[in-house]
Amino acid sequence: MKKALKILAKIAAIGGAVYAALFAVFYFDLDGKAIFKFVEPTLVKHYDNMPRRDPLTRPYGEEPTNE
Amino acid sequence: MKKPDWNKLKEKLKKTDPKKLARDFLYGKPHGERRLGDLYEPKTGLYKHREWRGVKDTFYYFNNIWLYNYGMMVADIMKYGGLVTFAKGVWRYRWVGQSYLPVMHWFDRGLEGVRGEALRASAWHYRAMVNQTIEQFMRMFCADQNIGGSKALYDQTIAHDETVWGGVFYPYRDQLDDIPLQMIPYFVTCHVNNHTVLNYIDATQSLGLPGDPCPMCQAECGLMILDDEPDFYPAFITTNEACDGSVATSVIQDWMINKPLYAMPQPMQFDDPLVQEHCAKEIEGAFRFIEEQMGVEFHWSELVKHVEEQNELQRFEWEKWDVAANTSYYPITGTAQALYRIYQSQRGNRKIWHDTDKRVRKILEKCVEQKIDTFPLTRHRVIAWSCAPLYYSHWCTWAYNCWGLNCIINMDSLMFDMTIRTDTYDNMLLDFARYHEWAPMRRMAVGGLKHIFELWENMEKFHCDMVMMYDQLQCKGMQGVHGLFEDEFRARDIHAIWMPHALPDKRTVSREEIRRIINDYMFTVMQEEPLDPSLLEFDDSKSW
Amino acid sequence: MRDLKHLIYFEDLLQEAHNELVRKGKEDGNLALGYTCYFMPEVLLDLPGCFSVRLRAPRCVSPDMATYYMSGRTCHYGRSLFERALEGGFNFLDAQLATETCTVTCRFQEHLKAMPEVINNMNFKVEFSDVPFKKNENSIDHYEKQLKAHVLDFLKNNYGVDTSDETLLKTIEEHNEMCRIIREIGDFRKLDEPTITGYEFAVINLVSMTCPKYLIMDKLKETLEELKTREPDQRKTYRCKVVLAGSENDDPEFTKLIESCGALVVCDRYCYGAVEARVPIEIREGETPLRAIARHYLLTSQCTRFMEQEEMRHRKKFIAELAKEYKADGIIVASNKFCEYWSYERMIDTIVLPRDYGYPVCSIEKEYINSASGQLRTRFQAFVESIEIKKLQEASK
Repeated sequence: MKKALKILAKIAAIGGAVYAALFAVFYFDLDGKAIFKFVEPTLVKHYDNMPRRDPLTRPYGEEPTNE
Repeated sequence: MKKPDWNKLKEKLKKTDPKKLARDFLYGKPHGERRLGDLYEPKTGLYKHREWRGVKDTFYYFNNIWLYNYGMMVADIMKYGGLVTFAKGVWRYRWVGQSYLPVMHWFDRGLEGVRGEALRASAWHYRAMVNQTIEQFMRMFCADQNIGGSKALYDQTIAHDETVWGGVFYPYRDQLDDIPLQMIPYFVTCHVNNHTVLNYIDATQSLGLPGDPCPMCQAECGLMILDDEPDFYPAFITTNEACDGSVATSVIQDWMINKPLYAMPQPMQFDDPLVQEHCAKEIEGAFRFIEEQMGVEFHWSELVKHVEEQNELQRFEWEKWDVAANTSYYPITGTAQALYRIYQSQRGNRKIWHDTDKRVRKILEKCVEQKIDTFPLTRHRVIAWSCAPLYYSHWCTWAYNCWGLNCIINMDSLMFDMTIRTDTYDNMLLDFARYHEWAPMRRMAVGGLKHIFELWENMEKFHCDMVMMYDQLQCKGMQGVHGLFEDEFRARDIHAIWMPHALPDKRTVSREEIRRIINDYMFTVMQEEPLDPSLLEFDDSKSW
Repeated sequence: MRDLKHLIYFEDLLQEAHNELVRKGKEDGNLALGYTCYFMPEVLLDLPGCFSVRLRAPRCVSPDMATYYMSGRTCHYGRSLFERALEGGFNFLDAQLATETCTVTCRFQEHLKAMPEVINNMNFKVEFSDVPFKKNENSIDHYEKQLKAHVLDFLKNNYGVDTSDETLLKTIEEHNEMCRIIREIGDFRKLDEPTITGYEFAVINLVSMTCPKYLIMDKLKETLEELKTREPDQRKTYRCKVVLAGSENDDPEFTKLIESCGALVVCDRYCYGAVEARVPIEIREGETPLRAIARHYLLTSQCTRFMEQEEMRHRKKFIAELAKEYKADGIIVASNKFCEYWSYERMIDTIVLPRDYGYPVCSIEKEYINSASGQLRTRFQAFVESIEIKKLQEASK
């Protein structure tokens, strides 16, 4: 019983800590800051350097060719 | 290390009213005492910290909006195709990578300063839009041949221009799904992250297009030119809605897409009873095209089911308008109203809209029954007319917080203003035609003059005393009636603020410039003082 | 080449919309019916007792009043027309037969409807027709209905114009005669050494659209006869031949500018100057005259607003075929600033015509009245030079 209570208390404590941490992330806009400063620039770099199909080579016959 | 100035601190403590402090903690600072502008970091629009809205609303925001929506974003991805497919899509397409993650900031911008029932009802609208966005892009990715998507799903997915109403596909909903080509890659991304779209506009101009055509059409073209559109469909349907630019865009899209296309044009002179039969036949032509290309059958019962459900949505919309028009209890922000309505009516019947309306109805009824004044510091009831700046649709939230300008309704909300008959096939078809003709922008912005000037009767209907006149600098239709509006505003003695913008392109008129124009009008013409002076000037040029 | 006898007279007629012949037409008791677009069939406005005037605003360089109404960010052509109307330049009009076929000309015509006092004529009315975006049977049916209700019935009910089938047939015959003359004149441009310049043809063609036909026919016939014996210059006065395609253009000076740079304009494919606009109307067996007109105007048009897939694709080929037929060395695609249809069409033409059809393209954005001729001159000269270099390279191979 005591053990179970201990486990429950531990879970509650961990849950509480996670909840508090998430609240801190929320309140201080850490999600926004992380995305803005790290995630987005990395992705943009990737997109800018991606090889892309050249639009000027797209065929344009009288019928669509589904190419 | 700098020593703390104890005297100054003491002085500050002396001045602090503990009661007020406790009140602010419990209920949040009341409107009029807030300084929301102080929360922003310069340029980026990120928050030093998110707004404290009092215990109840802050934790509602944290639990029921922030945590809930982050959770639901993951759940939706799992539900509609899984993380692997999503990751492939993010890696391949700029528009999803750059705009999916900052979604919660889109919520923040649209819900700034909002409290109580308005916070709750508006947030549900946002949630519905996010769900629909995820459903659509996940369907695209699951069927996308560029990233190894399922061929079977590809064969069951038809694409259409975002200005083709989703209802055209109701008879086939049990056999295929329809996904608008640009609604997510273009329209939604402009709202969530306005940087993304600039790549597409530039791509189109790099092929020699001048800068002056409608930037929406330019961006839609750019998606194809930049090879940033998933390949998820064997055929597509386009339309002339809403303007010359839209017609012209179809040429480039056809070139880039290079798949069977059906053009389903709307008549321009749509008030003429003679045009209805023609329009209905073109819609029937679209049915035939879908059946031929997709190998599906017309199911009348499926169509009736969806139309009836859609009619339900419309009837609730009318109830909402009634409350908005005649009371001060309407719990939906101008931004949520505008975006949800256009999204919902354009996309067509989907379960999430009904779930959302159910929730919103409860809140709406509560507000009416308990006479809750949802935007208590409203100084002016504003109607917004013409096409809105997509990169600054949340100007409504700013304008209310800063000046007490409450945007009650907007032009795009008022299109599609009808239910559809299902008693006979012919009636349904004629109503489809009418619905199609009353699409956003077509009905008012570039339709006949009569509809453009429905502004006056709607001002009266919604008891508005001010007009926010969107001035889309590249919309030839609206630019072409500029002077007539000026004349009418003067003749009717109406306060109207012209808000110049270039739809998705913030480089033409920035958000800061838009705010400056409104500020100038409020100071010099209205001779009013701001409710929150910290919002008058700030630099958010790099913000999403 | 010997000067054309009536050219100066024709040029004078183009100096204003309310020209000598329009005045004469009115004095003869006819109704002056304005229009702006090929989709308003000219032939229907030339019924007995009426004459058509395709509206222009020559020499309008600064449409200030119209800019107040339509802002500075719309097509200069639409604004210029409204400016001319506000100045009183269209007071001779008895009606405007309008189409919403491109946004800004539609807005111009809507202004005339919303502000009828602009046209100082008690009889003046504006009537809009809806024009389809496709060329299928449904579109022809629709177009026919529109023309019946908004042109024929409108003219009959408001002005007592005879719109019977017999009258229509007679008007079609007269119209076809006009088309035959203009086409014959235009055919001289197909010669290896053309005996008419692009400028001269533009003037003649414009006159045929802006004056009562019965008053100009004789002079056009005379010009045709004159051309039959006209000899080309001994020494070539041009360096290459081009097709001029693009958006609205009713300014022969633009063609003159191109030709002054060494490029002879041998074929036109733009609004107000489309080669297909002078194809005679054929009445097929079992067709009513109105049906034939509706079918003819819809099927012959190469307007960029057509949205059917095959039409969107075919019209590039059409321009290339014209270039071949008229032995052109290159194509100039010119769009008016703020013309959305042609901004896109020009962009794709500029890529596809050289790539798929082998024709060099000069892509130009221009104003309604071209004050920036210095810049354009430079562009055209460079284009002519590039064609010459290409020819030299081909010859050396």
